[in-house]
Amino acid sequence: MRIVRTGRSFVSINGMDRRDFLIRGGSLVSAAFLAACNSRGPKAADKLLKYAERKNISVERKLFRHTAIDVVQSGAHDAGNKLPSYYISPTVPVWDESVRGKWALEVSGLVANPLRLTLDDLQKLPQVSNRVNHYCVEGWTAVETWTGVPFSELARVVRADPQALYVDFQSFDDDYHESWDIESAMHKQTVVAYGLDGKMLEPAHGAPARVYSPVKLGYKNTKYLTKIVFLPQANGGYWTDMGYEWYGGV
Amino acid sequence: MNKKRHHWIVRVTHWVNFVAIVIMVGSGLRIFNAYPAFARKGEIFCCYPFEHKPIPAWLTFGRWLGGARHWHFAMMWVLVVNGLVYLAFVYLHGEWRDLVPRKGDIRDSWQMVKFYAFRRKDHPHQGKHNALQKTAYFLLPIAGALAVLTGIAIWKPVQLSWLTAMFGGYVWARYWHFIAMLAIVILSVVHVFMVFAVDPYSITSMITGNYDPSLSPEARNARPFYHLFPRRATVAPTPPPPETT
Repeated sequence: MRIVRTGRSFVSINGMDRRDFLIRGGSLVSAAFLAACNSRGPKAADKLLKYAERKNISVERKLFRHTAIDVVQSGAHDAGNKLPSYYISPTVPVWDESVRGKWALEVSGLVANPLRLTLDDLQKLPQVSNRVNHYCVEGWTAVETWTGVPFSELARVVRADPQALYVDFQSFDDDYHESWDIESAMHKQTVVAYGLDGKMLEPAHGAPARVYSPVKLGYKNTKYLTKIVFLPQANGGYWTDMGYEWYGGV
Repeated sequence: MNKKRHHWIVRVTHWVNFVAIVIMVGSGLRIFNAYPAFARKGEIFCCYPFEHKPIPAWLTFGRWLGGARHWHFAMMWVLVVNGLVYLAFVYLHGEWRDLVPRKGDIRDSWQMVKFYAFRRKDHPHQGKHNALQKTAYFLLPIAGALAVLTGIAIWKPVQLSWLTAMFGGYVWARYWHFIAMLAIVILSVVHVFMVFAVDPYSITSMITGNYDPSLSPEARNARPFYHLFPRRATVAPTPPPPETT
């Protein structure tokens, strides 16, 4: 680049004077902005974003503490019927006993004692009720009370293998599932819930049973459970495969 | 005569910051649009008049919620590391002296306001920055720190619940995050406007580092869109030719 100082203070860069430079530079920047508006960003950045996600997962797993628990702010109201309901099937998934037989939750994978637990079986296991926040990936929160079996209790009765570092929660809502890191699953506020606000869970919120934990974003908390599989490796998930973060921890 | 005005660290962090802020604001607004409100479900939020009105898509970046989140959570590291490098440099290199508020700043700011409002004829005498500029450059890192801390608070409301609680809980932390973003946007928009309207020569100085003091707003007696171009050298006591703007 040739910079020429002419006269007292005018600078010309490659034949452009300062005014040209400002006008051209300004239009270039504006054009870049208009192109960037509402865009997905350059394709070339995808690798960097993936790299950042992997690094973020390791930061988030290091940050994770079993002693960190979710506390509902004093004065916060329950969401009640304002709790949004969602599923990926075209209509509310309902377990039809006449077609599929009695519902049971299969707990399997890297476990010494695989089990099939009916709703009665689940209710006979130690029960907890947690009034906690629901953190949705969209940014809203909702306070609800979830009743069920602590996940750690289930892991104990099936005698989960220490090699099982991941858990996959699978459902009968199409092929919806989400896999978790074991430490989030073993958090004391993670429950396999069959009750909501003192009543049995309704189909709108994942009946007969769903996983519920305030340490994960809503989409990680699989509803309409059929299987809990202990795994040596992560197994993605419905929204994870769509491109949301696999970890989804709060 | 050209003088060195900006150290290369300041210049690099400035432009990195520019990219980081644009992407953080754009992707943040896209994330916000997934729930353009603050109320907890089943409650009403007191202090945002536009609940459930999305931000226009052209102001957002990332196209969809998942994409915007990936951008946001990647670029946040760039923003934080870049900000820390800048602050460390400004501290170690002594440049903080040009930026921290001093006793006379309120008086000087008022004089600048009067000058811009044509209530004062001559540009007030200034150091590296005028008093209003100085205030803006001092406030920007504060707004940035608030944005980062409230951002962490809503990223990890359970694992770092003490931080979230410091901002009044998740709903309020998310609100303060939005307000911090607004403050950064307002400061940045005014900054860019003033650069083009008062001191376009500073753009070169933020690229090459060199600045010609005879082109400073004070030397040109420049208000927004007034005296944008330098006065001709006046060797003889002849009246200056008419200005073309």
